[in-house]
Amino acid sequence: MEALGLLLHGFGVLLTWKTMTLMMVGLILGIFVGVLPGLGGPNGVAILLPLTFTMDPTSAIVMLSCIYWGALFGGAITSILFNIPGEAWSVATTFDGYPMAQQGKAAEALTAAFTSSFIGSFAAVVLITFLAPGIASFALRFGPPEFFAVYLLTFCSFVGLGREAKHKTVISMSFGLLLAGVGLDTVSGQLRMTFGWSELYRGVNFLVAVIGLFGISEILLTMEERLALRGHSARISLRVVWQVWKSLPRYWVTLLRSAAIGCWLGITPGGAIAASFMGYNLAKRFAKDKESFGKGRIEGVFAPETAAHASGTAALLPMLALGIPGSGTAAILLGGLMVWGLNPGPLLFVEHKSFVWGLIASMYLGNVVGLVIVLTTVPFFAAILRVPFSAVAPMIVVSCAVGAYAIHNAMFDIWLMLVFGVVGYVFKKIGIPLAPFTLALVLGNRAEDAFRLSMIGAGGDLGVFWSNGLVGSITTLAIVLSFWPLISGGVDRITRVFSRA
Amino acid sequence: MPNGLRELGLLASALAGCALAAPAASAWEPNKSVEIVVAAGAGGASDQMARMMQAAIQKNNLMKQPMVVSLKGGASGAEALMYMKSNDGDAHKVLIAYSLIYMLPLSAKIPFNWRELTPVSVIALDQFVLWNNTTLPHKTVKEFVAAAKAANPPFKMGGTGSKREDHVLTVFMEKLTGAKFAYLPYRSGGEAATQLVGNHTASNVNNPSENLEVWRAGQVRALCVFDKERIEYKTKVTDTQSWNDIPTCREEGLDVQYLMLRAMFLPGKVTPDQTAFYIDLFRKLVQTGDFKDYMEKQALKPVFLTGADMVKFLEVDDKLNKDLMAEAGFVAN
Amino acid sequence: MTVSNSETEIIVEDPSAPPAHSPAVTHTRIVDIVVSLLLLALALVMAFDNWRTGNSWDFAGPQAGYFPFYLSIILAGACIYGIVAAGRGRGGADKPFVTRDQLRRVMQVFVPTLAFCLLTQWLGLYVASFLLVAGFMWKIGRIALWKSLLTSVLFAFIMFATFDLAFDLIMPKGPLEALFGR
Repeated sequence: MEALGLLLHGFGVLLTWKTMTLMMVGLILGIFVGVLPGLGGPNGVAILLPLTFTMDPTSAIVMLSCIYWGALFGGAITSILFNIPGEAWSVATTFDGYPMAQQGKAAEALTAAFTSSFIGSFAAVVLITFLAPGIASFALRFGPPEFFAVYLLTFCSFVGLGREAKHKTVISMSFGLLLAGVGLDTVSGQLRMTFGWSELYRGVNFLVAVIGLFGISEILLTMEERLALRGHSARISLRVVWQVWKSLPRYWVTLLRSAAIGCWLGITPGGAIAASFMGYNLAKRFAKDKESFGKGRIEGVFAPETAAHASGTAALLPMLALGIPGSGTAAILLGGLMVWGLNPGPLLFVEHKSFVWGLIASMYLGNVVGLVIVLTTVPFFAAILRVPFSAVAPMIVVSCAVGAYAIHNAMFDIWLMLVFGVVGYVFKKIGIPLAPFTLALVLGNRAEDAFRLSMIGAGGDLGVFWSNGLVGSITTLAIVLSFWPLISGGVDRITRVFSRA
Repeated sequence: MPNGLRELGLLASALAGCALAAPAASAWEPNKSVEIVVAAGAGGASDQMARMMQAAIQKNNLMKQPMVVSLKGGASGAEALMYMKSNDGDAHKVLIAYSLIYMLPLSAKIPFNWRELTPVSVIALDQFVLWNNTTLPHKTVKEFVAAAKAANPPFKMGGTGSKREDHVLTVFMEKLTGAKFAYLPYRSGGEAATQLVGNHTASNVNNPSENLEVWRAGQVRALCVFDKERIEYKTKVTDTQSWNDIPTCREEGLDVQYLMLRAMFLPGKVTPDQTAFYIDLFRKLVQTGDFKDYMEKQALKPVFLTGADMVKFLEVDDKLNKDLMAEAGFVAN
Repeated sequence: MTVSNSETEIIVEDPSAPPAHSPAVTHTRIVDIVVSLLLLALALVMAFDNWRTGNSWDFAGPQAGYFPFYLSIILAGACIYGIVAAGRGRGGADKPFVTRDQLRRVMQVFVPTLAFCLLTQWLGLYVASFLLVAGFMWKIGRIALWKSLLTSVLFAFIMFATFDLAFDLIMPKGPLEALFGR
């Protein structure tokens, strides 16, 4: 019951005119960036982040998370009407969503998508609500060794589970970690890798890198491809909404299954992409008439959308609780927390109760309000795609520059953003994954500090990482994960030998 | 060396009372928004102070143009110093400085010297307090020091940054008592505070403002304050204690004193008119109720110095910090 | 770009799209090797700097240069592996990295962006963004001049109102803003 009390407190924080207005503005901006080609969730949030720099943290996170919900809703619009997945996790939505639009059932498909996003997020928020109070009491057990073990776990899971060529993941991650180390080292108070250049003293900012890597490089990539679009327009009537909602109970198994998959993959760093495909594939496997999938079946929209949004929302829990981003957008929100002066991690639940519960309450409210807005304004947002790219592209460039500059008021960061734009373009084309790089850049310093503080505290004894049950099990799990391919390969070989015998 | 520290305290309190005769209204005024440059991250003591000043100046109508807080906490504040240095002659930027202006150039070899900027005024002095966790049995400095001496592995002392105020204080406590501490440099005072609450460190030497919340929550114990006299504020902060109830470290037999300046600087090469405007502005500011409330809430020591007095204070303070750093072995070669 | 629209369909066409068969400027494998070489060079420079900072293990944990030094070595190792792997032609068929027409279009957006960054330094962000939006729409989007100008003036003004007036964010400013005393 503690959760409910805290949640009510959160709503109390939220229900002011100012916060409510920010919420609406955030949602509309979010849908806007979700629909625009060449933007989308993480980039949109990164670019709009500077708007929040002068706000208090609670207003800031409410607005930002609403931008995020908005972008998630917006992504569904382009997937269904134009067959353009705005995000990788909307790919599965296009399988049945676009055929539905082609059959003139665009309104149904959109309603289904929005409703199931809502259901997915809602399920995840409920989960967060009931897990969060426990985290606060757990929080104080985290000292430097525990933090390091958790960071190690995150890095190892990337190396061990990534699908790209291993050496490219290693290049990406070590490059990110190296850049994270540039500047003044907190533990020794020494400058390093600055080569006497004062612009490098403060280091390479994670958000500047993200804006370049995703914002600018995406513009370059979009420009390289065809810009032609062909899609359907839709207007959602109350009757359609009612029909779709009436059919919901029939699909409860699918919805529940997808929500569960989403929550699980969101909390463990599996991500929304895996969740949406898994949701879709499982719905298909358990259906009686598998052939009707891919031809415009409403269940084929429900399943991936519920899973993707459950996972996108659930990803905020590890971000807040452990300081580990479960998704790209969560990583940017993490960067935001640091700019506002909040230290993400278990202590956040102790030090900044109003902030955490305001955010959780805003997830409830943001999703409800978002659903209403998006259902009523679809025709307007679909029309945004008619704005020519040659008008949108320079505006995105300007927004990126504003975002990069605002973080430190430094012209140097605009140049850095441009360099990262080129790096992102080239890396994407030669298959060096960007996710490990951004993760390394955001967590690198904290991981190194945690390690060295542990060493100082333990007088240089590595045994500190196995000194109690909590830290020991996390460290062991991390090491197992990094060698996962070897281990699972070994297990395969052994079972093969046995089955042959 | 503690003698030197004591001198600083004396000088500060001697000068604290004497306010200069107010000059005539200055001819120059800012013609666009003024940037308060903060050499620390958001939410830190400097940031809070800057935001309070911004609000108080606006509320009391002390300046026509708006004030904007600009956070430049990168590289432990070096970012702000380099920024001020590179903006010679721009009187629309004012730095809220603390002892990093002496220490950072020494420990990290950053090409900066506060004499290149224009001193405006010292507006407060910040205290340091020795804190430990309330679950530990050591209720006084003597018990704490005795336990620290006997401890193996050594007690962990938390603090902000490396080779800075907190670290220097720790080294001097070691020299004076013969105890050894494992100093853990955290990124912020807030982090040092919560790590103390979680019992991951045995103690820290945070500023009053940094440990205020956890002190009120009864999670940490204030052992002593590093000043030659007690903090003057007598309103109860916790259920049982006011700032004034914390003994000085000297009373408790640990003769270490250290105060940190909070001072305002303009970039170099500004005109005397421009400096005069800001001197006047801050003089009015420190007399507002908002400022005084803030000083009490954060347990800051009131002091206001400008002109030649300020430069004299800075020179003495600089020498002190330099000696401390050298003796602690923190000067990079 | 032409835009047509009916009640049920939204069609945006792109006549300037690159033709599918344009000669490749360079191939992925070559770029792969070049990038690996550049990163290798960077890794070596960083390794040297960290060796200078101190890369050994102190009595209580690693020195400031310890982690970055070994990371540089790991990065260098991964790059060498990448160069060898790419040199042997592993990793599937060699795709064109960018075709001549694609490169032309990428440059069409990259060069104005570069110019925008340069102009921001001298003219301030708002004037530079006006020039970028107007120029890009008119020259590259081939949109009527008056439409381009109107859009860009409006855009620059909205940016100014949002960041400077409403949110108090300091952006780079130039002579024009100084004229208005901002």
